[in-house]
Amino acid sequence: MAAASLPAWLCLQPGARALRAFSTAVSPTTLPGKAGPRTTERTSRLERPSRRKALPPRTEKMAVDQDWPSVYPVAAPFKPSAVPLPVRMGYPVKMGVPMAKEGNLELLKIPNFLHLTPVAIKKHCEALKDFCTEWPAALDSDEKCEKHFPIEIDTADYVSAGPSIRNPKARVVTLRVKLSSLNLDDHAKKKLIKLVGERYCKTTDVLTIKTDRCPLKRQNYDYAMYLLTVLYHESWKTEDWEKNITEADMQEYIWTNSSSEKNILETLLQIKAAEKNLEVTKEELLGTKEIEDYKKCVVSLKNEGDSEYTLSQYKESVKRLLNLT
Amino acid sequence: MLKGVASLVSRVRKLDPGHLRLGTQAPQSLAAQLDNQVSFESPRAISCTNENDPAKHEEKHEGLHYNLPLQDVKTVFPHGLPPRYAMQMKTFNEACLMVRKPALELLHYLKNTNFAHPAIRYVLYGEKGTGKTLSLCHIIHFCAKQDWLILHIPDAHLWVKNCRDLLQSTYNKQRFDQPLEASVWLKNFKTTNERFLSQIKIQEKYVWNKRESIEKGSSLGEVVEQGITRVRNATDAVGIVLKELKRQSSLGIFRLLVAVDGVNALWGRTTLKREDKSPIAPEELALIHNLRKMVRNDWNGGAIVLTLSQTGSLFKPRNACLPQELLGKEGFDALDPFIPIQVANYSPKEFESCIQYYMENSWLQHEKAHTEEGKKELLFLSNGNPGQLERLCAYL
Repeated sequence: MAAASLPAWLCLQPGARALRAFSTAVSPTTLPGKAGPRTTERTSRLERPSRRKALPPRTEKMAVDQDWPSVYPVAAPFKPSAVPLPVRMGYPVKMGVPMAKEGNLELLKIPNFLHLTPVAIKKHCEALKDFCTEWPAALDSDEKCEKHFPIEIDTADYVSAGPSIRNPKARVVTLRVKLSSLNLDDHAKKKLIKLVGERYCKTTDVLTIKTDRCPLKRQNYDYAMYLLTVLYHESWKTEDWEKNITEADMQEYIWTNSSSEKNILETLLQIKAAEKNLEVTKEELLGTKEIEDYKKCVVSLKNEGDSEYTLSQYKESVKRLLNLT
Repeated sequence: MLKGVASLVSRVRKLDPGHLRLGTQAPQSLAAQLDNQVSFESPRAISCTNENDPAKHEEKHEGLHYNLPLQDVKTVFPHGLPPRYAMQMKTFNEACLMVRKPALELLHYLKNTNFAHPAIRYVLYGEKGTGKTLSLCHIIHFCAKQDWLILHIPDAHLWVKNCRDLLQSTYNKQRFDQPLEASVWLKNFKTTNERFLSQIKIQEKYVWNKRESIEKGSSLGEVVEQGITRVRNATDAVGIVLKELKRQSSLGIFRLLVAVDGVNALWGRTTLKREDKSPIAPEELALIHNLRKMVRNDWNGGAIVLTLSQTGSLFKPRNACLPQELLGKEGFDALDPFIPIQVANYSPKEFESCIQYYMENSWLQHEKAHTEEGKKELLFLSNGNPGQLERLCAYL
């Protein structure tokens, strides 16, 4: 009889219950005694451990003006029962809506900033105020700050609970300075930009030096200041080999001694020769207004690239040079 | 008119006796065509002009088509016309070019050139399909009519890509010869400038190899013949031709027009490789080297008209159309100073004229093509771009 009822149990109670039924089957002495009226029932109240009923989520008990930072004091994963917002996330099935927050893995995966609401940040600021000094009253605008303190240093400090208070990331020092606040002439500025390469941003005119090669923050700061000093002084010096610069290296197009100048002088000399006007010298030619105009047009074409305006200017100047109507 | 129709009908009947239906329908269609010809006389005046001499083209002819006699086309443009235009010419059985502003401007400059001054370079540039090559053809026709010697390289890009048989040059070991391209070009050059070839005498002795040489004083025609027959020496023959022409045009015997289409190929990159797969620079090709010397302005007695072209160019992006982008730094420095002339899309008047021309030649068969909306639609779809318009109208 026990054997006959066993398969019925196995079908009706999958999973753990089946295991339990199997274990009871292994000890047949227990079963036959308790069999009879109890086997018809689905579950046996003595065997099932007592289970609490699921409580209502905490959100139902939250007041509107509650203290939110105490709900999320630190960075914590998203708890759908603790966040009173009816938020939905996920890709909807056809003719459906995104999934609700209960049991939503997508909401768990993403970082949330529920611990950093403006109220919480205000509280942090209030707490930190005791450790801060007053902002100087004279520095009330950005320009004044830049004028008096052109160099900006960025450092980061890290606090964590753990066996050691040291954090290797804390040694990084970033130095930012605007080149307009440094005393550089044309050559020095170009040389400095070439020396630093990627660290200079053209749009904001900011040189950024990031150092982390020394073990201590203080050492990195000293190294960054040293780098800035060396760059400044080196860019003011002019070496002998700098005058061998080729056209490919130059950042801007310079007209004097370029092939364009040679071409135009040759052309004009030939024209003059054809008109039997051999007394004109190179310097005279270079000084004429048309050549000045032509020079400006070529320089603008090369530096700014082609555009309707530059090309038409160039055309006009060439026409005037070559005496075309 | 009835007699004419009757004779035509009888001729048709003789041609295909089995097709009685065609015979009966033929007179109707012929009559219709004759009628159409009569009615189309007046619209022809809108899009075409009778002034067939480019020298007399003025601003009042702007936007109108003029007829190039087919005989001229065969001599002046053996290789110069763009392929789609050549197809159109064959279909319509006539060659009509539109007179446009850039060409008029260039004609004005050319008419006022001072042949004692060094040759001025004019560069036609513009977006794809705006008509640079056909403007160049207009200028060439003008110069041919004025009896200039035409040195026309239809597409310089053909000389820097897809060339088989590269030989090491006999003249200069570092350079490479392209016998096929050179011989083809020499043949076409001969067709264009037949009458000059016997008049011009070379002024130096050139030695081809141990057994053959050309004496001083023989005509240029012999050099060209030698190049065409002996394909191995074709590139050197081209070099000699260019050198002699440059030297002698300064003397004033003839006027020289150097017309190169796709001149940005001279300073770009090539797709040709040596046997060890290393790339060849353009200056290592003898043809390109000589052509570069030709477009320098150290000679006088003529003019140099050049076109930039992105179609067919190598390693240049699709939307590059401005001089510096296509020529690069080297090209710009070599051509400086030049006069850049922009070729733009059709103006409304030119667009109207073009549509009229197509309609007269019964090219636009779509019923809506004649209406104002149809024309507006075509204008919108092609944005006034001549090449695009031609391609669109091919479907209608």
